[in-house]
Amino acid sequence: MLVLDQLAYRHPGQPTGYAFSLEAAPGEITAVSGASGSGKSTLLDLIAGFLAPSSGSLTLDGRDLLPLQPEERPVSILFQADALFEHLSAASNVALGLPRGTDKAEKDAAVTSALAEVGLPEVGRQRGDTLSGGQKQRVALARTLLRKRPVLLLDEPFSALDDATRAAVRDLVLTLTKREGWITLLVSHHVDDIDAVATRQYRIAEGRLLLS
Amino acid sequence: MVIGAAVALLIVLVLWSITATAATDPGTSPSRIDLPWLVLTTTIQAGLTMVLSLLVGTALAWALNRLRFPGRELIVGLFASAIVTPGIIIAFGLLAVWGRAGWVAEFTGVRIPIFGLGGILFAHVILDASFAARILLARLESVPDFRLKTGQSLGLSAIQRFALIDWPAIRPTLPGLGAIIFLLAFTSFPVVLLLGGGPANQTLEVAIYSAVRLDFDLRGAVNLALVQIAICAGIILLASAAAPIPANLGRSAPQRWRDGAWVQALQEAVLVIGVLGFGLPLLAILIDGLGPGLGSLLAQPGFWRSLWTSLAIAAASAVLTLLIGLTLAAARAASPGRLVKTGIGAPAYAYLAVPTVVLSLGFFLLARNAGIDPELAAPFVVVLANTLLALPYAVSTLAPPLEAIATRRGKLIRALDLSGTQQFRSVEWPLIAGDAGVVTALAFCFSLGDLGVIALFGTQDFATLPLLMSRALGAYRSNDAAGIAAIMLLLTLAAFVLIPKLFQRLGHARA
Amino acid sequence: MVKLLPVALAAFFGLAALPAGAEEVPILRIYTYDSFAAEWGPGPGLKAGFEATCGCVVELTTADDAIAVLRKVQLEGATTKADLIVGLDTATSAEARATGLFAPHGLTLDKLTLPEAWTDPDFVPFDYGYFAYVYDKEKMPNPPKSFEELIALTDDIKIVIQDPRSSTPGLGNVFWVQAAYGERAPEIWAGLKPHILTMTKGWSEAYNLFLAGEADMVLSYTTSPTYHQVAEGVDKYAAAIFTEGHVAQTEVAGVLKSSEKQELAQKFLAYLTSVEGQKLIPTTNWMFPVVDIGADLPAAFGEAPTPKLLEIDAADIAANSRAWVDAALAAIQ
Repeated sequence: MLVLDQLAYRHPGQPTGYAFSLEAAPGEITAVSGASGSGKSTLLDLIAGFLAPSSGSLTLDGRDLLPLQPEERPVSILFQADALFEHLSAASNVALGLPRGTDKAEKDAAVTSALAEVGLPEVGRQRGDTLSGGQKQRVALARTLLRKRPVLLLDEPFSALDDATRAAVRDLVLTLTKREGWITLLVSHHVDDIDAVATRQYRIAEGRLLLS
Repeated sequence: MVIGAAVALLIVLVLWSITATAATDPGTSPSRIDLPWLVLTTTIQAGLTMVLSLLVGTALAWALNRLRFPGRELIVGLFASAIVTPGIIIAFGLLAVWGRAGWVAEFTGVRIPIFGLGGILFAHVILDASFAARILLARLESVPDFRLKTGQSLGLSAIQRFALIDWPAIRPTLPGLGAIIFLLAFTSFPVVLLLGGGPANQTLEVAIYSAVRLDFDLRGAVNLALVQIAICAGIILLASAAAPIPANLGRSAPQRWRDGAWVQALQEAVLVIGVLGFGLPLLAILIDGLGPGLGSLLAQPGFWRSLWTSLAIAAASAVLTLLIGLTLAAARAASPGRLVKTGIGAPAYAYLAVPTVVLSLGFFLLARNAGIDPELAAPFVVVLANTLLALPYAVSTLAPPLEAIATRRGKLIRALDLSGTQQFRSVEWPLIAGDAGVVTALAFCFSLGDLGVIALFGTQDFATLPLLMSRALGAYRSNDAAGIAAIMLLLTLAAFVLIPKLFQRLGHARA
Repeated sequence: MVKLLPVALAAFFGLAALPAGAEEVPILRIYTYDSFAAEWGPGPGLKAGFEATCGCVVELTTADDAIAVLRKVQLEGATTKADLIVGLDTATSAEARATGLFAPHGLTLDKLTLPEAWTDPDFVPFDYGYFAYVYDKEKMPNPPKSFEELIALTDDIKIVIQDPRSSTPGLGNVFWVQAAYGERAPEIWAGLKPHILTMTKGWSEAYNLFLAGEADMVLSYTTSPTYHQVAEGVDKYAAAIFTEGHVAQTEVAGVLKSSEKQELAQKFLAYLTSVEGQKLIPTTNWMFPVVDIGADLPAAFGEAPTPKLLEIDAADIAANSRAWVDAALAAIQ
């Protein structure tokens, strides 16, 4: 269980701050919606460790995450676009999810199976910038699979995709979340995305998270 | 497109007017110079300068991008100001530190042989690498936020971070930057002679100068100028052909991602060496110039007249450079094929390859042939010449981000059906405001400028700071010259700290 | 706004450039090199002095150096606005004469105190100096007394000279070695090679290298130490006097044939070579005056050593200067 309790932050020079409280369970997609500028990105930055809160707590199964550096947190993050390093091949992008020093044979096997799981067994050699938007997000999910981090943060991950692709990627996220037991946090302003996959729904208003 | 053609036309006109004048002349015998040898040595020198400057510039930009410390903005401004300071001043600053009677020799007793190819390269690298660092730093600082977050969350190593995030951001800028540095080094003349240690180190530009001035062999001068332009054009085309991958763009946030302790130590070392290497000569200039002799300089009305003249020219050229640079870069970004892109961008660079002495002759003849009194035309010509001089920097800095916007957001822009101005204000301007600030500062400082192009125009009352400085140097007035050099350096520093800040603010305001 | 800027600039400078006088006052247009017209140069004083008596306005128009002034007039040809040129020298006067643009000066120059008799019908001398290597007496107690002694010094004794292709003193140096050694000139140049720290574009870079302590000697004029004595009260610099003799640089002025104000121009030349005009020269151009100006010559000029004069024929220069330059450069390549 990922628990935020009055996790507070105020951007320098802004009059009002945020105080976030939220619970998210494994194997479920927890959605957060809100108008643009309402603080969705700030929420993700706090969980991923890019911002340090002024007070409050952030725990995963009772373990305090706040002292951890971003790369040490049990968190993967996936953005709307450009999740891949486009001059690397798809396989190399996926391999970035493995710990450094993994030996080559093991790496190749892990990458191949991860790409197969996201339904793209054949794109390994293609450069990142030759892939379609949906393929890029799938490859990024394959990388997340290898990272084996229990928390997945999704920042508008389907916004750049057309309707058909978007439904497919969305379903893939749900499937993987259930199977891997991920705690998936989906930030989006698309009601249909949220309705289709989310178990629990929050809304940001005036710096607070409201369960809806 | 039109502007590119106009620059090309201007260069052709300049050369043609000289050739036409030469045709009516009985003509003198051609100069006896060893052309292949001159071309070879000049190319080697310029090539080495280019490679070293890009390497050092990248290392400095990398270190500056990562580290945060008080006075950082000043260091960034310091680096940018080197390239717009007259080369001769930098060379004397270098000697004040490393020369026979310099600080190093005085405090350590170690004498470093500074004259020769090594000295030329050292001076050129100080001029060009620090400038490269400034431009590359602007690219690194425009790496989008989400890209850095992805990388940081993946726990990329320092090497991976450079290869995966930094390199794609700076690569598109390198060819244009490299071409500029090559051209500057290829046409460098007073610095090469000052530090060259005798005729073994020469540039083609010396031969052209002597053909125009000493031999008055105009046809020969045009031929030599054409050789120089041809070689430089080769470099420009090579640079254009080195396909720039559009850089990533997005709102950039202040860096929070530090590299590991060892890497940080390396970055600090790079920065300290950079600041010592580049900063000390500049510091020497300041110390030399801001001494007790400054009062008598500030008391001269001529000094203040030159200061205002310089500032007025600089402001006019800076605005003009930004406008033309944006237009050219946007046209480049919007055009389909690489050939067209090259056709638009190349003439701007080609101007750098035309020797100043040829330009001064050509502009003079053009004004005369057009029936314009050169004395009245002088301010316009100076503004025009300074603009053209700064244009390659503007294009090479602005083109990659605009190109990136065009490829990345082209579809979105079309879908939203934004009109041109609206597109610029809402989409492009906020993303390039930072780069535009650097370009404007650069053009401003460049244009405090040299009056080489109007050497023949006969404008006694039209004096700028650099002219006043060279006058003082030529009349035993070393103190005045040192004071002017220091003041120019301070002006440049101020411009490089303030103008980008102003633009950054404008960018945010419009977003 | 943007388009207004250049216009505003032009208006500003256009106004500034307008001559002070109105139409009825004749304007005498003098082309000269930049530092001659600089505020501390002789230009402003000569202009004011001549305007006080001539009932005319003197307009100084500049180019960056003396040779550029000549090129400018050559390019303008018969349509030039210039009435006279001030600032050519004996090394370039033959070439200037060959252009056919100059008229005879028509003056009787019987009061000249030049080291050599003046016979030039077209150009009038207005100052002169000897090329010499300048050194610091404190650092160099025993300066060389000839080129051969200089060559014989250890290689760590460095001189800085100017490129003969871009600098007047640089070219003068070539003539000097040529006049002193004739056929042996390339040999002397080869001997100088290890001592040459560098060869700069112009006089000012070389001289400032010397002042900064980078070189032991610099090619300049016998009057350079005089500047430091008079203007700065510094007595440590001196010019080395060579037993071979020295070449002089004499600066000259000439009237253009195309000028419609021949008489006025000649009056200016007369003023330029008068005692009154010449008084202005020593402490502005730091060269010797061409007539006796008595006590107005600062004592330091009198103390400057007078070397033996090496004469060099102008026709010889015109015919051979390029070959000499090429040979000198080849020898130190």
